[in-house]
Amino acid sequence: MMELMERRQLSPILAGLPPKIDIRGVDFFYGKSQALKGVDLAVPANAVTAIIGPSGCGKSTLLRAINRIYELYPEQWATGEILIDGRNVLERRYSLSALRRAVGMVFQKPTPFSTSIRNNVAFALSYFERLSKAELADRIEDALRQAALWDEVKDKLNASALSLSGGQQQRLCIARTLAVRPEIILLDEPTSALDPISTARIEELIHELRQRFTIVIVTHNMQQAARVSQRTAFFHLGELVEVGDTTQIFTNPHVPRTQDYITGRYG
Amino acid sequence: MTAGGHTLTAFDQDLNELRGLIVEMGSFAEAAIEEAMRCLVQRDAAAARELVAGDQQLDDLEAEAERRVVELIALRAPMADDLRDVVASLKIAGVVERIGDYAKNIARRVRRLPKRATLEPLSLLPEMAKIAQEMVHNSLIAFAERDPELARAVCARDDALDDFYEVILRTLVTYMMENPQNIGPSTTLLFVAKNLERIGDHATNIAETAHYAATGDQLADQPQ
Repeated sequence: MMELMERRQLSPILAGLPPKIDIRGVDFFYGKSQALKGVDLAVPANAVTAIIGPSGCGKSTLLRAINRIYELYPEQWATGEILIDGRNVLERRYSLSALRRAVGMVFQKPTPFSTSIRNNVAFALSYFERLSKAELADRIEDALRQAALWDEVKDKLNASALSLSGGQQQRLCIARTLAVRPEIILLDEPTSALDPISTARIEELIHELRQRFTIVIVTHNMQQAARVSQRTAFFHLGELVEVGDTTQIFTNPHVPRTQDYITGRYG
Repeated sequence: MTAGGHTLTAFDQDLNELRGLIVEMGSFAEAAIEEAMRCLVQRDAAAARELVAGDQQLDDLEAEAERRVVELIALRAPMADDLRDVVASLKIAGVVERIGDYAKNIARRVRRLPKRATLEPLSLLPEMAKIAQEMVHNSLIAFAERDPELARAVCARDDALDDFYEVILRTLVTYMMENPQNIGPSTTLLFVAKNLERIGDHATNIAETAHYAATGDQLADQPQ
């Protein structure tokens, strides 16, 4: 009975902890077209928040805003506030380098660098930190272990990353992200190009990582959102329609648009 | 439920068929209650035996509903109100099957009643049966039409049925005290009344499940 009560307890946000990421009134523009409209969303720490919604709803744009990737493109900008631990990362004076270190991102298609497995993980590490050879080796092993890839690659760290399977490549990308010890991990459809077994391994990994990180995952796969997340946010046409505990969103959504989407009555 | 159907129309068809199956089970159980009471009042032992044998059909319908629910969950991965609907169907199918068993129990008692003797409390039982039967009927309508108000009304009616049972119990006890020869038939009628009272409880369960399926809220959590 106690266990049942615990499992039904309120989400971290509702329990009164300050959110790790607090998105307030964010608008996002690609030139003249507005992709996000007044988004307010609190993302709790040590939990997985899933972002779901049809194509073009602004899911990926939201991730792009959180780590300011959009700054690489002149015609794109965001207004409003995205607070990480209370500091607005959209402000120019918030160092992009510090942001990249705090926020790691993994994309839909595995994007390993065309070099050895070891160098893939070492690359970002050497960029951010000065480490001795031994320290570097430790950190590489640590990252590969955390990404549940170590046992499969420990004997071939000098092999090309491109020789790995798709699922392994994606875990390598996650290891690369973890190596610099970020606080937040953004996953943009990390398993959409993978087979069911690789997908299950990544999902298991997400489950383990959430103890230590704040994770935001964009996914088209509703079952995946239901499996891996504790909070779910539904976006439609650039607006946040509904956010709640994942169990509530998938068993009893309060907004008809959410219900239509998750039950497959959309469009 | 929102107005539109699913993008995948075969999903709508599956859900409608499942719902239809549950309603069919309900009609079957209702008819069984009515027929059991007719057999009792008219001492129609032959028809009662047929009714007992016919209960197998309800068991078969339950197995079919169960099979479809498992299939729907495996193949369609229902969510939100669809999921609540599918789970409710499974629960209701089990409860309706139990209601069929109670009707069968009533039918089994028919041969224990003396052919000619008039038993006054026997005249009260059909009235009680009518309430129980209506509760079953309305609880299934509440499910089929997603009507939480009707579901509430069914639950509220259970008290009336319980009161009825108390009255019959007291009447039968008085009857037994008056003349020990009444003990046998009175006990039989007492069992029948108890069966009807249990049918009311099960109809209440169906109504609660229907309420949850329609709204996502447990009726027990709601202010009455």
